[in-house]
Amino acid sequence: MANRMNKKMETQLITIENSKSPISEQYRTLRTNIQYSSVDKELKSIIITSPNPGEGKSTTIANLAIVFAQQGKKVLLVDADLRKPTIHYTFNINNTKGLTNLLMKKASLGDVIQQTPVLNLFLLPSGTIPPYPAELLQSEMMSQLMDRLKASFDLILFDTPPILAVADAQILANKSDGSILVVKSGSTEKEGAVRSKDILMSSRSKLLGVVLNNKMMKDSPYQTTYYYGQIK
Amino acid sequence: MEETISLQEFFQTLRKRMLLIFSITLLVTALSGVISFYFITPIYESSTQLLINQEDTNTNQMPDLDIQTNLQLINTYSIIIKSPAILDLVIKELALENMTTQSLNKKINVNSEGDSQVVTITVQDADQYIARDIANSTADIFQREITDLMNINNVGILAKATASEKQEPVKPQPILNIAISMVIGFLLSIGLAFLLEYLDNTLTSEQDIEKLLSLPVIGSISSMEIKEQKKIARLNKMQQK
Repeated sequence: MANRMNKKMETQLITIENSKSPISEQYRTLRTNIQYSSVDKELKSIIITSPNPGEGKSTTIANLAIVFAQQGKKVLLVDADLRKPTIHYTFNINNTKGLTNLLMKKASLGDVIQQTPVLNLFLLPSGTIPPYPAELLQSEMMSQLMDRLKASFDLILFDTPPILAVADAQILANKSDGSILVVKSGSTEKEGAVRSKDILMSSRSKLLGVVLNNKMMKDSPYQTTYYYGQIK
Repeated sequence: MEETISLQEFFQTLRKRMLLIFSITLLVTALSGVISFYFITPIYESSTQLLINQEDTNTNQMPDLDIQTNLQLINTYSIIIKSPAILDLVIKELALENMTTQSLNKKINVNSEGDSQVVTITVQDADQYIARDIANSTADIFQREITDLMNINNVGILAKATASEKQEPVKPQPILNIAISMVIGFLLSIGLAFLLEYLDNTLTSEQDIEKLLSLPVIGSISSMEIKEQKKIARLNKMQQK
């Protein structure tokens, strides 16, 4: 079991396991593009969502958090997917207390924020799964929490449920500075992507752009080598 | 959906579905090979030639008119050869119990070569010896019967039908079948590739996203499969050299 967990970590957290790999470099490119995507307004809280489940939100956000932390930013990764949380699996931490316990005032910040082996990277797992996640995220308590977190971290990344399935991501998009849409190559349908875009565009946060996940190499063999060629 | 398709997109689609195209072509080709070699009964062909010549000594017709008459005769003969009057006798002589006049008729093909007075009787059968026997006895019986039927004796047998163990079957022609099915399989799979491409309503490239959503693509993450990763590593090595 433990072995399997490690295997999983290996494939998902490529930016730790193999920080020189081309895929890690793709995450660093994503980081750079995010930093350049909003010049006039500081981005401190970003949500990542996708139209449907299983399109790579959690993997993307985990690796993105790592590359931001590797750059020296103090990063907090929040598992705001209160319906099907995964971050505690990805980083192999315990999820007995987390975001929901904070929101219901059953815990304090110090109790729930966990350190990771990666310097500057902190995690806030989802906590107990509540009956009405949307209401909890909509609450005034959540807004206050976000303000408090912004004060102590350089960047807060929120993992959210799929945007077409439930309102959670939309609610969080309204409370954060920026949003990113993850689509999976060959899996995300065009119609769903358009609807997700419309939802995110109507929210308060700035839609920073789209991340194309699971891209097949053969579609364009030049791009990755080009980026990789820059670092060496 | 756009109406036009650029040449670049055309080749992109082909490259994307290369495996599909290749495997369907191969499958269809192999299938036709197997069917032609193992499932289709080989058909042998044997033919005999008759010479039609009007032995007319008592009239003083022009020579080319003679030939004209002969050609008309040949057409008549072709029909007579395939008529039950002859074929029933062939069946009786060769004791072909399980064959009807119609089925025998289908095996026999009569044609004259060009404007000549030579008539060729071609017989096709799964057994080369039976084909030979049918051809020969049809010619014999026709020669014999025509004297009664038309009151003339002007049919000579030019060449007898032969058969041998080493004879090559005329049908099927495996190489031809394979070649044809290869072309058909190739075209079919290309058609299928484009159909799949047309039916595919998923996002697959940065261009798709930019065209459809008019949003910037801020990152593309390659597939994390081991195979893909190795490919990337290889490309990198090439780049560094």
